[in-house]
Amino acid sequence: MKHLLAVTALATGILASLPGLAQDKTVVSFLHKFPEPENMAYFDAAVAEFEAANPSIDIVMEAVADEPYKDKIRVLMASDQVPDIYFSWSGEFGRKFAREGRTLDLTEALKGPEWQSRFAAASLEPFQFEGKQFGIPVNVDSKYMIYNKAIFEKHGLSVPTTFAEFIALNDALLAAGEVPIAYGNQSPWAATHYIGDLFAKMVPDDVRQADYQLLAPADQLYTHPGYVEALALYKSFGDKGYFNNGANAISHQQARGAFIVGRSAMVYLELVEFYMLADTPVAEQGWGFFPLPPMEGAAGRNDLLTGAPDGFLISAKTEHPEEALAFLNFITSPDQAAKYVSTTGMTSAVIGSVTEQTTTPETLAGLKALEDAAGMALWLDTDMDTASANVILAAGQGLLSGDETPEAVMEKVRAAAKETLAQR
Amino acid sequence: MPDRSDHTQATLRQSLQGWLWVAPALLFLVVFVYGPALTNIRFSMFSFSAMSLDWDFVGLNNYLRLWNDPKFMTALTNNAIYAAISVTCQVGVALVLAAVLEARVFPNFSANLFRTALFLPSILPVVVVGLVWQLLLTPTTGLIDQILWETGLASWSRAWLGEPDTAIFAVIFVSQWQWTGYIMALFMVAIRAVPRDLYEAMEIDGASGVQQFWHITVPGVRETILIVTIITILGSLKVFDIVWVMTAGGPNHSSEVLGTMMYRAAFRDDMIGYSSTIATVIFFIALTIGLVQIKLQKDR
Amino acid sequence: MAAARSFPALALLNRILLWAVFLTLAVICVYPMIWLFLNAFKTTNDMFAATWGLPKVWHWENFSTAWNYGISRYLLNSLVVTSATVVIELSLATMAAYALVVLNFRAKAAIYTLILGGAILPPEVSLIPLFRVMAETGLYNTYFALILPNVAFGLPFTTFLIRAYMTGIPGELREAALMDGAGEARIFREVYLPLCRPILASAGLISAMRVWNEFIFALTFVESESVKTVTIGVMSFAVALRADWGVLMAGLALSILPILATFLVMQRQFVGGLTSGAVK
Repeated sequence: MKHLLAVTALATGILASLPGLAQDKTVVSFLHKFPEPENMAYFDAAVAEFEAANPSIDIVMEAVADEPYKDKIRVLMASDQVPDIYFSWSGEFGRKFAREGRTLDLTEALKGPEWQSRFAAASLEPFQFEGKQFGIPVNVDSKYMIYNKAIFEKHGLSVPTTFAEFIALNDALLAAGEVPIAYGNQSPWAATHYIGDLFAKMVPDDVRQADYQLLAPADQLYTHPGYVEALALYKSFGDKGYFNNGANAISHQQARGAFIVGRSAMVYLELVEFYMLADTPVAEQGWGFFPLPPMEGAAGRNDLLTGAPDGFLISAKTEHPEEALAFLNFITSPDQAAKYVSTTGMTSAVIGSVTEQTTTPETLAGLKALEDAAGMALWLDTDMDTASANVILAAGQGLLSGDETPEAVMEKVRAAAKETLAQR
Repeated sequence: MPDRSDHTQATLRQSLQGWLWVAPALLFLVVFVYGPALTNIRFSMFSFSAMSLDWDFVGLNNYLRLWNDPKFMTALTNNAIYAAISVTCQVGVALVLAAVLEARVFPNFSANLFRTALFLPSILPVVVVGLVWQLLLTPTTGLIDQILWETGLASWSRAWLGEPDTAIFAVIFVSQWQWTGYIMALFMVAIRAVPRDLYEAMEIDGASGVQQFWHITVPGVRETILIVTIITILGSLKVFDIVWVMTAGGPNHSSEVLGTMMYRAAFRDDMIGYSSTIATVIFFIALTIGLVQIKLQKDR
Repeated sequence: MAAARSFPALALLNRILLWAVFLTLAVICVYPMIWLFLNAFKTTNDMFAATWGLPKVWHWENFSTAWNYGISRYLLNSLVVTSATVVIELSLATMAAYALVVLNFRAKAAIYTLILGGAILPPEVSLIPLFRVMAETGLYNTYFALILPNVAFGLPFTTFLIRAYMTGIPGELREAALMDGAGEARIFREVYLPLCRPILASAGLISAMRVWNEFIFALTFVESESVKTVTIGVMSFAVALRADWGVLMAGLALSILPILATFLVMQRQFVGGLTSGAVK
């Protein structure tokens, strides 16, 4: 028994000694979703630099990976342990926090030329709710179809300029015995990037916005036929074999890996993934990119790119708003933004930070295409309300496996949206 | 088990001492197991989200909603399939394997080696097992698919975890892979407690190994069979980790079980009252199984 | 096997069949782990090319990359949570078992049923209220958020095991000590505890394995890298590094290495300990 007690005492001692090493400092907690080694390299350095310049502030940083972050932030909200600074996607994902009063209003702090002018209006706008700025954009991202130049050349194929050409391209690749598109939909957000882009192309913009934000009358929500057509088109990609086998059982990262080693002609990637293609077999063969091409005669907008800025919010309950703001200001300073871009390979929302010196020509070109686009169609799963988005997420798998029909899916979306609207 | 101390009604003073000794354990159970379990039933009558602080009393509406939720039937069926396959494998197959290893068919050294090999998966964390099998089952590049191609069974190749028809079965298979050896080792201990001379007597009568199994081994370890069956069924009811790691209930909710459905409702869909409703259903099923166990053990 | 003696050919066939069955099962059980360790040395491209073979170049750096990613911290956290849980759980369970076996008090049967009943309830049933308790008491995201519920959910079985063992200790020992003027606390410490050593070791091992592999509490009640246990750590590790199979597998391999090594060195004690309680 004495031993037991001794061990308990020891264990409690370890427990007591671990948290809260720096009690005399102002502790600012910071949670983001970039745990990958190259991202952490930047954030660790930035935190260290900030703390060196502000010795009275201690930034306690945590990182959770992309998919689990969606659960984690909800858990934290529920436990009332919201970090002082936390990551958020733009659109409904962030708006929901603003709506419930869980975010600090940043409108005043951002005003004035110094801070606000660092960002383009297009990256600030998705972080506004009822006219107030609730988040600071950190990077911008958009989705492109990446293709393997060697495979295209081998079969005499070229980059499509219309959606019909894109379909023909896939058919040609299929006929030539290639896997047209590497696709990993194990975590079903991957499907929403296709479906979101198709919705934007096939549903009139005002109708779509009204549906996503639940501003339309309950009986008219999601009734436009473009939704069903878009889902049918997505399903046909799977049915015709444009995607590799077993997409539902493969992670997006595995699909990207398959493209990298030349097992497929194309893969649908985000701009912030471009840097991962450097020094790989596909880099030797050459690669290029194009957005999903415009669709002739479709009801929606063809000049939007699927993509969104990511950003940071500050908790409404933070005890140290000044310090939190100072840190956000610091990491979005031109100097830090340039370091962020060059260290991580990501883009930045800060104007002028993505240059030939800080990034690759491809990323630069991708960003240019984004700037030239008329606007963004935000990530579907973070732009729709949670319940409706969940239906689409599951449907992205169900349509591929043949367990869902486009009509039945939209029926479920309508039911989910109506219920959410009734609760608001 | 006869209790030496229960002859007389204890005095209050005597009782106080006994209560003090069990108090810490009881306190833990009340605070962390029973209390929350009862609170959970209360939660199930409300509709509320993590984000806002409004609680709406909805009575039994959550239960009605659950009953009409097609995912609930899928989950319940999956739990039942899970239990059926697990009982077959972990009780039936494991018992046969244990009997063979204990029947001295193999030299001692090999029998030990087999036991260790079959036991090995059970010491690994479920998360690691799930992730490793996810890699093994990956279409095209995974080991399983490659074996099928190399052995000319390419037509069997499929995205085991990616198809609604096979996803839950692939997960259940992995679970059997992990636990059958462990239960087998449990049975080996139980079989060793069966008197040796019973076997010897039957052997002299010329009974075969199969006959010995049915007439001595099975009755001899009946108690263990009962307990293992109950544990396996309870385990299938509360299964969460392996499913969450391997499929997270997908594709398209086809491998959802009650545990994943509950977790998703609470922490992804932000419907905490609804999640509590699912947990309450789990509670009552577990309670029923527990009562059945007590009844069965009394009837013996 | 008498029947075997009368049909030698059949018996031989039987024997070959059994050997084949067990060899296959053994390979199925062990090979995935060998595959994991071999592929942990490969690059992603090697793996796509040949998942079967030995690595052409042994990429030891996969392991250092994985280690630096934070596996060491996760292992330490698991160690702290597991050892604290086991110590507290064994202390409480032994005390309760002692009282249930030797002391005479009212409502004893009911109390024993109440303790055992906890074994029926899955953690899911208490998860959400527990989560709120953790949040409101500030235990959320500390080691205690894992230790306390783990103790509570382990107590029923541990108490059951120890109680069953203690009923086998002759009551005369206690009576003799009482005659000598010893109190219950002293009898517990000096008579029962030393005699219970084997079952304490078994129960401790069972409980340690359970806590080490625990998933749902770790998923829900902690968040920081500094408290994440290895099960959850490996999950986040897997998501962040899924692109790099070699490093991912090196990380998985590292996370199971301690337990695997212990098992292989002490397999008899392991199997014996983990299966005690199979017969009453």
